[in-house]
Amino acid sequence: MTKKIAVYGTFMAKVPVKQRYWKRRRDGIRQRYWKKTTRMKSVEKRGRYEFHGKGKHLYRAVVKAHQLMPKGFVDVSAKEFLEHPERYGSEGSWIDRKVES
Amino acid sequence: MVLKVHGLTEKWNLKSVIGYTDTETVKLDFDNTPFKAVRYWALRTMKWFKLEGFIILKSSKDNYHVVFDRKVSWAENMRIVAWVSLLSHNGMLEKWFVMQCIKRGSTLRMSSKEDKPSPRIVFRYGDQDNQINDFLKYRKIIRNIIKKLPRISESSIDRSELIVA
Repeated sequence: MTKKIAVYGTFMAKVPVKQRYWKRRRDGIRQRYWKKTTRMKSVEKRGRYEFHGKGKHLYRAVVKAHQLMPKGFVDVSAKEFLEHPERYGSEGSWIDRKVES
Repeated sequence: MVLKVHGLTEKWNLKSVIGYTDTETVKLDFDNTPFKAVRYWALRTMKWFKLEGFIILKSSKDNYHVVFDRKVSWAENMRIVAWVSLLSHNGMLEKWFVMQCIKRGSTLRMSSKEDKPSPRIVFRYGDQDNQINDFLKYRKIIRNIIKKLPRISESSIDRSELIVA
């Protein structure tokens, strides 16, 4: 298996605010649904990048990872991440919080 | 003898943590353990599993990382970590071991974190040519990245170019 560089921690991510609504079904039951609104809120999340690849790609990927927050656990080659960063990360900012390796 | 670690005041101003992950290197993370106990377990593990050599890195006061030299499979790696965590009765090591099992790859921190500096080598024993050599190569790559990062964060990067919604 390849050796990887991990970039991880806690960050503030912007996620859409969800709004609940009810709808009466044909069978008469009133069911709850959620819809995404256009409003955004900041939430604290944990995430992790695991990059593998060549040195120059790793360097650029780590720099980009500083600005793009991971969407969960992202295990990707540094080159692929640099080509399509929007697939793997979203807007946010890293914050100082206790995090395990 | 434990070397006095110099230069621990240098800290990385970025908030994320950078670490090194792989499956073939046996790594141990001893938290809240004195150096003598860490050295004892590192030596005992090395001899029992014929791991050829090890280095101990000090991450902060009473927190140490151990990296062994022999290349192993993932199954053997976790077998060794489980053996150490069970016999040493170290709760923090057990927790770390479970987390590595979940991720299917063991990670050790290489950058600074909160008020902790980046880990420094304080003890070497035996061969250092295989996995330790690779570990130190990656450590060098990460250190070079970290050295360049503050300059980048200070410079005026147009975030809109980097962040594609």
